[in-house]
Order: sequence, then structure tokens, then C-alpha cells
Amino acid sequence: MQRDTLVSFDGVVKRFGAFTAVQRMDFEIQKGEFLAIMGSSGCGKTTTLRMLAGLEAPSEGTIRLSGKPIDHLPTWQRDTPMVWQSLALFPFLNVRENVEFALKMRGMGKAERRRRAEVWLDRMQITEFADRNIAQLSGGQRQRVALARSLVVEPEILLLDEPLSALDAALKVRMQTVLKTLQRETGITFVYVTHSQSEAFSMADRVVIMSRGKIEQIGTPQEIYRTPKTRFVADFLGSSNIFSGKVATVGDGALELDTPEGRLRLTSRGLADMPRPGTTATVTVLDTKMQLSAARPANAVNVVPVRVIGEEFVGATATLYLETQHGQEIRVQKGHDELSDLPVEIGQPLYAHWAAEDGHLVREA
Amino acid sequence: MRPKISLYGLTFSLPLLVWQLLFFVFPLLFLVALSFWTVKNFTMRPDFDTVNWVTIYGRAVFWQAYANTFAMATFGAVLTSVLAFPCAYAIAFKLSDTARRWAVFLMVIPFFTSYLVRVYSWQIFLSDAGIINVLLGWVGLGPFPMLNTVGATTVGFLTLCFPLVVLLQLFSLVFIDRTLIEAAHNMRCGRLRTVVEVIIPSARVGLTIAALFAFILCFGDFVSPVYLGGGEPTTLSILITDTTKSGQQWPRAAVIALTMIATLLIVAFAAVRFAYATTKGGRK
Amino acid sequence: MTARPVPLATGTSTFTPAKAKSRKARKTAEQGARDLNRNRGVDFALWLYILLAYAFVFAPIAASFVFSFNSDRFPSIPLGEFSLDWYRAVASDPLVWEGLRNTLVVGVITGVISTVLGFGAAYTDYRYKFMGKQVYLALALLPPTIPVIILGLAMLAYLSRVNLSGNALSVIISHVVVCAPFAMAIVRLRLSQMDPALEPAAWNLGASDWQTMRHVILPFCKPAIFGALFITMAVSFDEFAVAWFVSGLNETLPVKVLGFLQGQVSPRINAIGTFVFVTSMTLVILAQLLLSGRGTKFRNPSAGE
Repeated sequence: MQRDTLVSFDGVVKRFGAFTAVQRMDFEIQKGEFLAIMGSSGCGKTTTLRMLAGLEAPSEGTIRLSGKPIDHLPTWQRDTPMVWQSLALFPFLNVRENVEFALKMRGMGKAERRRRAEVWLDRMQITEFADRNIAQLSGGQRQRVALARSLVVEPEILLLDEPLSALDAALKVRMQTVLKTLQRETGITFVYVTHSQSEAFSMADRVVIMSRGKIEQIGTPQEIYRTPKTRFVADFLGSSNIFSGKVATVGDGALELDTPEGRLRLTSRGLADMPRPGTTATVTVLDTKMQLSAARPANAVNVVPVRVIGEEFVGATATLYLETQHGQEIRVQKGHDELSDLPVEIGQPLYAHWAAEDGHLVREA
Repeated sequence: MRPKISLYGLTFSLPLLVWQLLFFVFPLLFLVALSFWTVKNFTMRPDFDTVNWVTIYGRAVFWQAYANTFAMATFGAVLTSVLAFPCAYAIAFKLSDTARRWAVFLMVIPFFTSYLVRVYSWQIFLSDAGIINVLLGWVGLGPFPMLNTVGATTVGFLTLCFPLVVLLQLFSLVFIDRTLIEAAHNMRCGRLRTVVEVIIPSARVGLTIAALFAFILCFGDFVSPVYLGGGEPTTLSILITDTTKSGQQWPRAAVIALTMIATLLIVAFAAVRFAYATTKGGRK
Repeated sequence: MTARPVPLATGTSTFTPAKAKSRKARKTAEQGARDLNRNRGVDFALWLYILLAYAFVFAPIAASFVFSFNSDRFPSIPLGEFSLDWYRAVASDPLVWEGLRNTLVVGVITGVISTVLGFGAAYTDYRYKFMGKQVYLALALLPPTIPVIILGLAMLAYLSRVNLSGNALSVIISHVVVCAPFAMAIVRLRLSQMDPALEPAAWNLGASDWQTMRHVILPFCKPAIFGALFITMAVSFDEFAVAWFVSGLNETLPVKVLGFLQGQVSPRINAIGTFVFVTSMTLVILAQLLLSGRGTKFRNPSAGE
């Protein structure tokens, strides 16, 4: 999987007055990958994208495109086309003129411009709307115009700033497929900023999770989902099975943790350097790995008595919401059939348990 | 809401309606009637005679004045728009919010402050021994005759229209979606080119309406042509005052006035159509 | 178009390395605060342009002010001595006093009537939908776009037919026609900032139409009403063309100025002009302060500024 680096952020910091939007950021974007930058609003993800497009200047550090620093270049001297959240289509131009805009700015002749625009109008299936005004288009059609307008120059990289957020749920899913296919076929590097986990995880090759101007974790969706590195990431992904406590023993590739719920044991996967005894550590357990039983299981290493507080059925899976004696929330996801012999009325006492290798250490901060 | 006719509603709606009907619509309609009256021995009498229209439209002086007025008003509107645009642009895009509020505040003041006295004041600058010629004299130039020229009239037109045009342009510029500008930059469109390709098209309605107002103001103005331009060349408004104040020829003045109103209506209609015309695609 | 931003970190060799470094660090920070797509040269030029534009707009006002205190018979530079002669000359002219009296009477009455009519029209537009509303609004807003010279002629011809010409009343009638649209626009703007649910809410609480007007609408519109009053007074105060046509012997001050202008150049006009400027500017500034919402009790949080 060794690929070439297209973009590198090197110690990039962005401050707005006293507020630091992006703190010392180092990461690379590979040629041809679909990278999603994800985080809640105000986490600095859009600022990161805007710095790459030259719409903001970094306060410190260097951004390189194909190995060359681009910090001194104004926006119009970079080839980093972007798709805005508002789409920013020119309302005073029709569809074709919008698509031709970037070519016109490059001084391309009329005939060539038209030919190239035609290719992308066709590819995005908007040829029949070519002479319409932007105001006459539906949300999905506008989306396609915005993509065609940015891609017509056949760039190496495309920046997308929450482009789907204005669409309804069904259309959103359809456009995700369009985007993913487009990225595969063209091999253009996509940098996709979003606050939506489903968008990021369904499309991206790699995901960058940001919080308060810092990168929390970079990895493939599977890596991040299975082994969140920090408590923030675990929280952000909606994991509720998070236990904090004092490290009791370390050794032999295993670790024991004293939490309010009792002593928890886990094997060492997940963290490079093991915490020292006496320090605080946090462990998470995927809701699909969590087991439930009516009677206290005999051989389980990690057992927590819980009560049922709610349940939710979506399709073939059920999610049970439980609470420990200390008020800690636990979530378990199971197939219907797996739950059929379990009493799950509200208030029902049960035992949650999991294997030592299913526990996963995360960093606190 | 309760959209029925009530005493309450009429109390608020009727007064203005009545007033404007009585003292705005009727006078203008009366002007139409007046244009068909005849004048004998310095007294007007009600009539239905096209003699005033024939007389006025048969005079070369009238058409000359019409051409002059139209040309000067067009020039005034274009020049004011061109000169006001960088100012409105800078206020909209280069000033902080606070500074912008101050700029608007200051620009509103002259709009409501005696145009007549301001025009008079320009004489202090433009006369043969005025400030500008004295300054030029210090560097060994001039004196240049500046008063009673078309140039002086133009200065007057600028005095009349500039604040209003800046304000109208400004209000259309501040509402431009900033992401459109960013998007243009993002597609290799540089600073100046963005102004031409994105900002001006985006603000087209406001810019056109501003130019239209400048045209209307210049077209009807008689202060600058008289007191700065020295009455040369003759404009329609000068013709009206001359016709009115000499020999009770009000019906002829009415013909000129109605021609002016018709012209303004046509220009306004054309301008509004141009302002709201959609892009090529819309005509499909 | 291809102009690059001015290179910033050009530390010169006169600095010691340490100083140079701190200077460079500071500059980097400045650069960070600066928009990459702006150019200082362009920004400076535009800023200068704004200053020039305002200088052009205010030059005649300033000149009139300065030369009203200047002793020279023909206003120019260099300035003569400070003098109040022109104010004395103006003050001793009974015709000027009469003009001023006429102007003030006309201005105040015009202001009040215009504001009342304008408020009614603005409220009508805000509250009601009816057939021919477009025509109603056109009537309410069009008059200022008709050249004053034409309006003056039409008024003169019409009012003299109904024997209303040649007195202060005719000036008031004509001025209201021109001023009411300004009042309407100002009040309408204020009403558009009002939460549309406010009026129904008052009805819902048992208030009648009139009570709602008295206790909800009027208090909400108070700053705009006073703003409109001041603006319409200022417009009337400065209006000369229509007044010139219809006033007959009851000339207002601006018509007086017109008379002076037709005669010879006289610094007396500067004295009157300064007075006119100060009065109009005071009215306009007061109106703007009221309309900018300073000191407004009733603020609609959702409407914002």
C-alpha cells in the first residue's frame, strides 16, 4: 500500500485572534485516496480544508502540494478545486457557463471549453439541463453541477466541504455512491470534510478525526471503529461502553483495571506503550462484543451486573440499553434470535460480560 | 390575519391614498389636459388643441435640448456609477463592520443636505478666481475657465447623485454571497477578474437601479445646468422654467414635462428589464 | 491578476540574528492574521479612494462653512480675516427672517403630516393584502422619482386652478407629496423587523385592533416614527424647486437662496447655507441615531441588526 504523498501538513497552526482553530497539525494525504476529515462543528476541519485551498493562511507551519510549499500562493494560483457546502454555484450563469468557468479562467478557447464541459456534463448526467439556470435545478442536480464545475479541469485533488448536508436522507445515500464511484474511476484524491460518521465511514479510505483543533486519530474506518485511540474518538463514534479506572497490575501482555464496576481485565492489544500501575486508564468494549446473560456467568473474566433501561429494534438487530449499579451506561447490539431466550423487560436485572481480548485501551485525552 | 375592510384599516390606508390622488395623480393628469389648452393674450383657456405639441415638437431647439439632456444625463449616470463603484466596493469588502456603519452614516447625511447650497459652494472652487485656480496658479498653471462649462455641470451631477449611488451600490454589494467570491478565486479567477466576472454580475440589479436613479436625477435637474453650467447647453428643465416664467406658456411647458416623464418611464422600464433579465439559459 | 502578495519576511541584514528572528516571528504571525488573497497595495489604494470620495462629498459643505466666517467679498484662498459680517448681514435682512419662518412652519407641518400618512401606508402594506396593492404602493413611493421641476410645474398649474397656489399651504401640500414616501419607507423598514406573531399574540390576549395599535405597534415603531419625522422635516427644509414654483410671495429659505443665486455671488449665501447645513445635518443625524436602534427598548431578538 505504499503510495505517493500528495499533500503534507507540517506543523500547521491556525489562530484567529486569541482563538486557536488548528493546533500543530502534521499529516499527509496520499495520492488517489479518499480522505475524510471528520469532527463536530468548530473542531477545525473546515479551517484545515480552507488552508489547503488558500482561503486561510496558516499562522505557522507549511503545507506542501506535490512536495512544493504553497503557503505563499493566493487561492487562484493553486489547483485545489473545492465544492462548497452551499455549493457556491454562480446564479447569474447557466449550468454550462458554470461548468466552463474554470476553463475560461485558464484562457482556454471557446470550442475546447465547450467540448470539455460537454464531457463532464455528460458524465454527471446533466447534459439536458445545460442551458438552464441554477435556480431551476433540484438539490441533486445542483450537486452534480458543482462536481462537474470542479472536476472539469481534471485536477489532482478535490476538496469537499460537507457538500451533502443540504440533501434529504435518500438523496444523500445516492450521492455518496456517485462520489465514491467517481473517485474510484478518476483516481482523483478526494478530501472530504464532514460531521457525519456514516458519510465518512461509507466513502473514505482513511478518516481523520479532529477535536478542538487537534487530530485525534487517523486510520481506515475499520481501524478507527475497532480500535479507537482516544476516549474522544470512542465517545464520538457513539460507543457507550467506556470504563475508567486505576491500573492495578500490568504484565504478561495483560492489564488489570480497578473501576467502580469492579476489576476489569484485558489483553494488551490496542496501545503501544502500556500504562504504569497506579495511573488512570480507560477501556472500551464494542457493543457487538458485549455479551448478556440472565444468570451470573461462571467463567467470564469481566462481569458487570446491569439493569435494562431501554431497547430499540432496527431491522434484524436489536440494541439494548443497560445501566450498571453506578449509573454507567452500557449498550449491547445483538441479532433478534440471540436475544430470544433473554428476558429484556425494562428493569430486568442481567449480567453484562466480555472476554479479556475484547477490551480495548484508549488514551484519556 | 384579518383581511376584511374595516374602519380601523381604512383609517390607516385612506389618508395617503387620498392625498396622493388629489395632489400627485390629479396634478399630473391635469398636466396632460393642460398640454391641450390654448393661450391667447397671455391667458390660458381650456381647449382641445394639439397646437402645443405641434409647436414644441416642430422646434429644433426642443430636440436639441432633448438630445443634450439625454446625453448629459446618460453621461452623468455612467460617470457617477463608475466613480462610485470603487468606493462602494471598498466600503463593502475592505472595511470592518464598525467602519462600514460609519461610512453609511456619513454618506446618508449629504443625501438629505441642501443640494442647492452645495452646488453654490462649488462655485467657490470652480470660479476663475476660485480655490482650484488659485492652487493651480501657485504651481504656475491656469487660470482655466471652469465655471459655466459642461464639466462644471458634471461636478454638480456628481454632487447630486454620488451619495445615493454609493449607498444603493453598497446595499447590493454587501448582500453578495462571499462563497461565490471564494469559489471564483478557487477556480483561478484573480482579484480584478473576480470583480468583473462575479461581483458585478451578482450585484447587477443594484448597480442598474443605482444608475437608473442617477439618470432620473440628472435628467430632471436644473440647478447644475443653470448655476454651474451657465445655462449652456440648454436642457429640458431649463426650457421648462423659461417657458413657464415667460408669457404664461404653461401648456407648452406641460408638453415638455410630459415628454420628460414618458422618457423616464421608458428608460426605467428598460433598466428594470435589463436588471432582472435572466441569463441566456433563462430565455429558453 | 497574477500579482502576488507583497513578500513579507524580508528581514534586512542590519538586524542581529536574534532581532531578525523575533521580527520574522512577528511578521509570520501578522501574515497568519492576514487574508492570503488580499494585497496591501490594493487595500491601501481603495482606502485612499474612500477618503477622496468623502472629501469630494463634504468639500462643498466644508467650504460653505469656512467661507461664511471669512471677511472677503469674493470667497477664495488665501483666507481673509475671521468675520461674522455675513451673519450680521443675513440677520438684519427681514426677508431672510420671513423666509426662515416660512421654512420652519412648512417643515414642521409637512413633517408631521407626512409621518402620519407614511405610517398609515407602511402599516397598510405590513398588515393587509388587497386588490390593487401594487398600485397603492406605487402611489405611495413614486413621487420622489418624478423630477422636481415637473412636479413643481404640475403643482403650480393644478393648485392655481383650485385657488391654492401662492401661499404656504400650497408649499405644504406639495412637500407632503414628496416627503410621505420617505416616512413610509422608514416606518415600513421598522415594521419588517417586528415579529409577525406579535400583533396576533396581542389579539389572542384580548386586545382589540386599536388597543394593539396603541400598546404594541406604536411603541415598537416609535424610533422609526421620530426618525421619519426628522427626515421628512429635513427634506422639506431643503426642498426649493417645487416651493419656488408654488410659493408665490411666501418664499421659503431655499427659494430665497435660489433668488440670491440668480443675483450676484455673495458670501451671504454661505452664512445661510451653513445654517441650512447645520439644521439638516442635525435632523438627519438625529434620525439616523434613532433608526440605528441605539436606545431602543423594543428589540426583536430574531430580527437582529
